[in-house]
Formats: sequence, structure tokens, C-alpha cells
Amino acid sequence: MIHRGKGIGCMWYPIGFTVLANPSAATVKINEDGTATLLTGTVETGQGSLTVLGQIAAEELGVATDDVHVVSADTDTTPMDTGAIASRTTYVTGNAIKLAAENAKQILFEVAAPMLDVRPDQLEAVDRKIQVKYFPQRCLPIADVALQAQFVMGRPAIGSASYNPPTVGMDPETGQGKPFSTYVYATQCAEVEVDDETGEVDVLYMSAAHDCGTAINPMLVEGQIEGGISMGIGFALQEEMLFDDNGLQRNPNLTNYIMPTSLDMPEIDVDIVENFDPTGPFGAKGVGEPTAVPTAAAICNAIFDAVGIRITSLPATAEKVLKAIKEKQFGEEQKALPAAE
Amino acid sequence: MVDDVKTKEKEVTLESLRKADDNLRLPTVPERTLFPKEIGIAAAREQTPAVGQRATRPDGRLHGLGQTKYIDDMFFPGMLHAKVKRAGIAHAKIKSIDVSEAEKMPGVMATLIGSEFPVNSFGPSLQDQPLLADDIVRHAGDGVAAVAAVTEQQALDALEKIKVEYEELPNVFDPLEAMRDDAYKIHNNESNIYASKTIKKGDVEQGFADSDFIFEKTFTTQMVEHVPLEPHASIAEWDANGRVTVHSSLGRITLGRADISRVLELPINRIRIIATIVGGNFGGKNEITTEPIVALLAKKTGRPVKCVYTREDEFISSTTRHPFVMEYKTGMSKEGKIMARKVRLVCDGGAYCSWSETTLGKACILSAGPYNISNLHVDAYAVYTTKTMTGAMRGFGAPQVCFAYESHMDDMAAALGIEPLEIRLMNAFHEGSASPTGQVLEAVVVEDSLIMASERFGWKEWQK
Repeated sequence: MIHRGKGIGCMWYPIGFTVLANPSAATVKINEDGTATLLTGTVETGQGSLTVLGQIAAEELGVATDDVHVVSADTDTTPMDTGAIASRTTYVTGNAIKLAAENAKQILFEVAAPMLDVRPDQLEAVDRKIQVKYFPQRCLPIADVALQAQFVMGRPAIGSASYNPPTVGMDPETGQGKPFSTYVYATQCAEVEVDDETGEVDVLYMSAAHDCGTAINPMLVEGQIEGGISMGIGFALQEEMLFDDNGLQRNPNLTNYIMPTSLDMPEIDVDIVENFDPTGPFGAKGVGEPTAVPTAAAICNAIFDAVGIRITSLPATAEKVLKAIKEKQFGEEQKALPAAE
Repeated sequence: MVDDVKTKEKEVTLESLRKADDNLRLPTVPERTLFPKEIGIAAAREQTPAVGQRATRPDGRLHGLGQTKYIDDMFFPGMLHAKVKRAGIAHAKIKSIDVSEAEKMPGVMATLIGSEFPVNSFGPSLQDQPLLADDIVRHAGDGVAAVAAVTEQQALDALEKIKVEYEELPNVFDPLEAMRDDAYKIHNNESNIYASKTIKKGDVEQGFADSDFIFEKTFTTQMVEHVPLEPHASIAEWDANGRVTVHSSLGRITLGRADISRVLELPINRIRIIATIVGGNFGGKNEITTEPIVALLAKKTGRPVKCVYTREDEFISSTTRHPFVMEYKTGMSKEGKIMARKVRLVCDGGAYCSWSETTLGKACILSAGPYNISNLHVDAYAVYTTKTMTGAMRGFGAPQVCFAYESHMDDMAAALGIEPLEIRLMNAFHEGSASPTGQVLEAVVVEDSLIMASERFGWKEWQK
């Protein structure tokens, strides 16, 4: 018989390294036509981070995402970066980029101020223009200012900066301290079907509500969450490296190491929780790792709701689930029998 | 007349045979794709303000058209292929390594063993891992020698000619057994426990005394591999000035450069690492693996050397997710408020430290869950075992402890007759809550996420 169940999993996760310095540096170069080049030492590992970082630079410069070309991951040409780890790229590298872009923009403001008859601190960069705050009709195209800066004033607009999250060391005895600058929070709910004759668990539906501060690129956030859930499903139900008695791996291949495929994926609804972190670039935090965190918990709680068994050791393979169901049934049958005197 | 027809048939047959033969030998070359000179840009990439736009990825088009060059797509003139010989024995002393037969194999240009590295150890917290084991093998996937040959197959064939003599050492597979005083010490330390973390907040014993109910349960998790689409890969090439360029699938090039500098005793400014695009990381590509090996083989041969892990290499020798043993004890009030919690975490650290210390630290801090708990005591240990080493993986211990604290939460909710969503809302962090380490939290949205996810799910209306 098939039993349905619902389960919930809630989590929190920090951004960046535990206490240790994990700086990022960045350089933003504004070209003479108002487009820009961003140099970052972080590595695109498939998550779309370069797009997000480009958007952060573009936002600060008041230009569009496509106006910023991102150069990354070459130790000879790009500035120091701690790298694609600890869900830190959007937050730490993003903050460094925002500061670098601000520095480059400051040169444009100083060049534009006499052209617009105002002080540099009265200016803002919006919609590919340098304009006077609260008097937007007085403005210049960013391209004109960049050209003026480079070829007339001889001040090419280049900015560099670095950022490191502020932390406080932890007490070795009690662990008290401020190990991280900020955290993200998330909840996932799962609906499962459990077959009590085979022990098979089928995840039908998942809803996920993740906090990432401001979503710099909601599409990429959704992509991360869906990918994280697939990894979480593997962790919950299928994936396990097995060893024989001599310590040799028994399944070092994708034939016997079972991972979720597209057919194992449930329907997923993703929500981004509205939030703004004042310490992040435009209020952003991060989203990479947390997406894979609460999935297994939600699924195991749904199994509990469906058939009343508590899985205490992952993965909840069909064999394990069936064994637990049989033990529970056996226990109930025993209870039902009159005690033998 | 009859003969004429026969000849024609024969000619046709030969040609078609040759064509069929060519088809077998040559890979199918797809028709050349002509790219439009003017490339349309997705509208979101042209919008201002840029933040909040659903901007497409510029690398998407390259991936879609097969233009992205991963390490395995790169070839340099005269490039050799390297392969690593795995120990195939979990714990042993290496008595001797003989590469002389392998060096005589066709196409073999150089071999490499661990003792040839100026410094044969690395690791982000403890430098306890050899690049190639030269003294003791501590897990079956430890590399013991490497070969550079003209083709991959020649390198693989040569690996079989490498003779290694081992003296078996006792295996320790269970982390709880490894913690015992009488366990065999894998790294010759006083204990196999190589990292421990503690968090103490409030008075946990008093908290238990004030509780109406006490719940206890032990949870365990398994070892998991990252399985990135692109396996670990690198290519090294030296120039005449003694500078080495490494194309690598590393996710942390700055650290990678420092590590290569340390193990090769080379100034940092003579090393260049280019990573550009990596085909999936998930935490598994945060340390050097093949890079120093190809760098030394390239130096020995004077030619570029490439090494791409096979899927099997990826499983047996790269880092994995830590198996955890998690003992939870929680005191609850009858209304469902968490009064006190005691947690003991043991993480199976595998053969080498790698990122275990960081994983342990994060797991320790996060193990209480996103809940207000005034009385908390967490003890956490990372332990050496003679299994594949465990390291950074998406979540650094968080998926493990989340499985435990959330399963535990539902058990307690069921026992107290409280709705799972309600019990979480009752205990969740809110703006200004103090974390287990005493940090005042801001921009906290645990309750919002609980409500949002459950409403989208239709939690309250949902029926079996």
C-alpha cells in the first residue's frame, strides 16, 4: 500500500569562513565608451557567480549587466580572491566589487562635476548617465564623462578595493564569539509517497523558501535551489559510498553509486524570502550551499508522517525503510497478542 | 561483359568498405556551425538597474554551442598525459617502489614518486597529506606514483609495471573505534582525534532539570561524493625562464598557487594558475590534487603534461562528504519550548584532515538549529580513519546536523502532540536573537521562511 506524508525542514547557514580572514579584492575599469571590465580572482564553477558579480558592478556604475565584461580566475591578471567556497562569492567578492566600482565611479564624478557645475558628492550614476541627485535633468551620458576622464583629463576611471567579513575569534573553552558576519535561513517542505511493500520512497513535491538577502539575480537563485534540492534528494535517499572489509570502495562508478536523475526530481516551487542585509552588496547574502541543507530532513520527516518510522541513518534506501516498516509492524503485532503467562 | 559488371561491383564494394572503415576510425565531425555576426542579447542583460534582473549567463551560449574549453578540451604541442597509480590497499607501510620497468614501456617519458617533491605534504589546516604517498599509505585511493606518456593508454599500461612492496598495517574504519585510546594511531599522534570543538552556553544541566521531558536519539549519515561533471584536471607547462603555468579545475586559485609554491619550493611569482571555467565544484575542488604532479612531470620532460581524473579516481582519491555520528539530548517544556540541548558530534575524518576542521567547526555552531536555546553544550570531534579522506562539500557539515536536529524536532513534536510547524515557529530565531556563540543576529527571517514554504506547500490544508 502507498502512504503519503508531508515533512518540513528548517535551517540556518553562515556566509564566509569561520572567523578566519577570507578576503576578496577586485578591480573595475571603466572604458572610454562607458562600458566596463571587472577583474576578479574568483572562479566560475557553474553556479553563475560571474553573472551576479557583473550585475553588482553594473548596478554600482549605473549601467546594464551587458555593459560589464568579467575577467576571472587567472593569478597573473586578476586580484586576490579566497575563491568559490563557503557560499561567500556574492557577499564577500560582491562587496569588494561594489567598493571597487565605487572608487572608479568617484573619478567619473570628479570629472563630471565641473562639466555639470556641481560638487562631485551631488552626483549619482543611473541609467548609463551621470546625473545630479534630485535634479536628474542635469546629466551627461556616462560615455561622455568616461571619454573626458581618459582623453581630456588624463584620469582613466579605474578602481580597486578589497573586503573581508568582520568576525570576532571564538573562545577556545566556550566557543563564544562572532564567527561569521551574517547567516541565511531557509525552509523546505516535502510531500512523499512510501510503498510499505517495497520500502520505496518517491518524492512528489517540494516547496522551498530561501533567504539570500537581496536576490541579485532571482533566476540564478532559483537554479541554485533546484540544484541543491537534487543534491539533497541524493543525500536523503540514494547516494552512499560503500567499502568492503579491506577498505576498498565497492561502488566507485556511476553504475553502482546511485544519484538522482531528472526522473527522480519532484515538482519544485521556489520562493525567495524578502530580506535585506545592510552588510551585503545591495543587501545580498548568499545562497549556494544552504540549498542542499534542509532537503534530507524534510524528506525524512515526510517518511515519518507517511508510515510512522524514524530514519536515523542516511540514506533512507528502500531496504532500510522496508526493514523499519517490518520492525514496526512486527512490534505492533506482538503488542496485539495477549501476553503469554 | 560479365567480367565488366563484376569489376564495377568490386570497385564499388572496395570504396564503400574503405568509407565504412574510415567511419569507424575517425570521430564524427559535426557540420561547422556558423555563428551570427550580430548576437542578440537577452533583454534582462540590457536593463538598468542591473540588480534584481533575471540576466542570462554569458557563458550559457558557449556551453550550448560546445565552445567552452574545459581542461580536457585543451591541447598543447607535444603534450603528454599523466596517470596516477593508486595504492589499492587501505593502510600499509611502503617498503619499496620500483618504477624501472614502467620507464621502459613504450611512450613513457617520465615517472614520479612522492619523495621527488621538495615538500611532500599539503592541507588547508594540517599539512598531513602527501601528494604521492612515499612512506605510509593511509587509504586505498592514495597515489603512490605517476607516469607521463605520449598517450593516456600508454600511461595506463605503464602504471601496471610499477611494483610497490607493502607491509600491511592495521585498519581502522569506524570513527568511534578510532577514538579509543587503544586504537592504532594512523598518523602516529597521541590520538586519532585531530580536531575538537566545543560550544558552551548557559547551564545545560540546570536546563535539563527545568525540563518536563528529555529526548535522546543518535543519528548517523553516510559518505557521499561530489560527482562534478568535470573531474579534477590540470595541465602544466614551463617556460624557458622557469615559470610554470597551470591550467586547472581548482575553485581556489590563490590558495592553490600558495600550495604549489610550498610543495615545489618555488616563489609565488613564478607560478600562474588559470581556472577560467570549472565544470562543477561543490567543495571538492578547493585543494591541489593533480597540479603539483603535472608540474613536476612537465619539468622532468620539458613538455606540457595533462592529467584528467577518471570517474574512479574521483571516487577513490578525491575528498568526500563526512559521515557523522550525532548524539542529541534535548530537554523540552511541556508547551514545546526547547529548554536545553546537549550534542556530541563525531565526524569520520578519513585518512587526512583536509577541510575537516572547518567542517567540524561549522557543524558544531549549526548543530543547535535555527532555534533559541539558552542552555547548550556541543562537543565535536574529527577522527582519522583509514578510509577515503573527507573534506569540504556543499554545506560543511550542515546537511548532516540539519538532518539530526530536524528529525529530532519532529520526534519531540509528535511526543508532545504539537504540530511540526508550530513547534518550529515557537522556538525559531527572530531579529536580535543570540546565536549559540553569543552573536546577535540581524536580518533574521526564519519565521518568514517557515510561513512562506508551508503556505506554498499548502501545509495546513494538506491531507493524506
